[in-house]
Amino acid sequence: MLQLLFNGVAIGCIYALIAFGFVLIYNAVGAVNFAQGDLLMVGSYLGVLGVVGLGWPLLPTTFLVLAGSALVGLAFQAFAYYPLRDKPTINVVISCLGAGIFLRNGIQALVGPEPYTMAPFMPIEVVNVYGVAIPSQSLAVIVITAVILAAQSWFFSFTSLGRMLRATANDKYAARLCGIPVKKMIALTFVVSTVLAGLAGFMLVPVFLASPNMGFGLIVKAWIGVIVGGFGSLPGAVVGGIMVGVLETFSAKFISSAYKDVITMGLLMIVLFVRPQGLFKGTVSEKV
Amino acid sequence: MKVSSRLVFWSALALLVLGLPMLLTSDYHMRLANLVGINIIIVLGLNFVLGYAGLLSFAQVGFFLIGAYAGGILTVDYGLSFWLALPLAGLSAGFGAWIVGIPTLRLRGHYFAFATFAFAEIVRLIALNWTEFTHGASGIIGIPSPSLLWFEINTDTSFYYLVLAFVVLGIVVAGRIEKSSVGRALFAIREGELAAESMGIMTARMKTQAFILSAVYAGVAGALYGPLNSVISPDAFSFDVSVVVLVALLLGGSGSIVGAVVGTALVTLLPEWLRVLQDYYMVVYGAGIVLLMVFLPSGIVGAVHTMLDRYRLRDLPEPAVKQEVGR
Repeated sequence: MLQLLFNGVAIGCIYALIAFGFVLIYNAVGAVNFAQGDLLMVGSYLGVLGVVGLGWPLLPTTFLVLAGSALVGLAFQAFAYYPLRDKPTINVVISCLGAGIFLRNGIQALVGPEPYTMAPFMPIEVVNVYGVAIPSQSLAVIVITAVILAAQSWFFSFTSLGRMLRATANDKYAARLCGIPVKKMIALTFVVSTVLAGLAGFMLVPVFLASPNMGFGLIVKAWIGVIVGGFGSLPGAVVGGIMVGVLETFSAKFISSAYKDVITMGLLMIVLFVRPQGLFKGTVSEKV
Repeated sequence: MKVSSRLVFWSALALLVLGLPMLLTSDYHMRLANLVGINIIIVLGLNFVLGYAGLLSFAQVGFFLIGAYAGGILTVDYGLSFWLALPLAGLSAGFGAWIVGIPTLRLRGHYFAFATFAFAEIVRLIALNWTEFTHGASGIIGIPSPSLLWFEINTDTSFYYLVLAFVVLGIVVAGRIEKSSVGRALFAIREGELAAESMGIMTARMKTQAFILSAVYAGVAGALYGPLNSVISPDAFSFDVSVVVLVALLLGGSGSIVGAVVGTALVTLLPEWLRVLQDYYMVVYGAGIVLLMVFLPSGIVGAVHTMLDRYRLRDLPEPAVKQEVGR
């Protein structure tokens, strides 16, 4: 039971990281980034490249994933978002979708469709906590996610760069009037969001394997987390993502593993019916 | 265009469309023409939601699936005639849209896009897993060809005229709706939902109607697809289909019936023309979508309109002050 909970929270942490990236970009540019899962996939492959391909230890590989994801994020926004910044949101959304297809199939053309895997981050498979056997990778994912979330919370609250990013997300026009370089801040938002996705992708490889189409199933769950938590709310995205992970793991165990996705999407529909603003948001309103 | 030249244009087009089977010699090309027709019906449906009301929907593939499965189950398992199964397929897809539309269309923004996306996935998973009802992963096999009186529509050429009839019907209905009060209300919602609401338009109800209409189109397309292919299975209804129909509409020109038709024909035939790219086709396709959004944001029809306007206004003096638009 406790083991199940841990696994659920771990997969939920992955959803939470993706969901977090979604919300960052949504708040900054008002568009949903449909390529978030493919950016995660790129992170997974960077991790595989480091650990399996080059035989590097974890720490240098982490830097490879960080730097590579940052570059991909920068290129992504330069090609798929920046030229469309004045166009309707739908165009941005479709463009992100296209960029995702490009990444997915580009990786497949480069390394083929076969999945890759790697050993867990810790030398032992299973950790024993008070007599409960917990897969070590689940524990690693939870700890690393907690560290990342603490770091971002410090970054957005206490650094001037973080404040500038928040100001940009809040009101681009006012931010520019205050002398904030809005264009750079939006580019940076994409970079932060891609790096989060890339790290999530890296941590995921020992559990889920890296394959070109891995991102798709994950972003669906992350979105459900975003809506359950409350669209636009960062803590909501994290809690929502973890909730979806736990619900999914438990329904796979106790109800039916074939229908676990139907059950999580059923949760989405119920939330939309009963509390469309999500758990963490006051009201749904619109800027006129 | 004068009346006479317009008449010449339309009769030439009608002749070309009716005589197409004589130009296309192989069965394979005939099959492609049929698929173009079926896709046009789906995209015409999407046009109500995305083109007129400005809502992003990923649900078309879900309704397409419902239509195909309703048609398949009713004809294969219950022995119903195609002509009875087809309207029932349209209705069941419309019912699905009603269920999804009620909670989500009250809300604004991306909720609807998400819900349609989730809906399409749920429907596919149910088709895959509810084996007793949907035949599971192996799909429904041996969907019978429709027959009209004593004539059996079992070749690609005869099927072409069946599909063509429904495409024409779809275009005529869409044209009527575009010019009706419903169409105008939807345009108003697209241009400014808040403004439309304060003008007394029941936005939620209008959007739901458009959504149901789009589902009925996709459902009918599904009911046609089953007998054409004679086999349907869940993997033919992946998310990729939703992307293809979205790209088709945006390439042609969102909000325009001509655009829907032209865009669909191009997107369905493009993989054939780009065979040389082989494994890289999908890479180019992805990059092409981005380029399309950047350089042709209002589609082919939009670009042609801009060019025509420029041509018509060529003798007018340039505006004295160029207005700065955007931020």
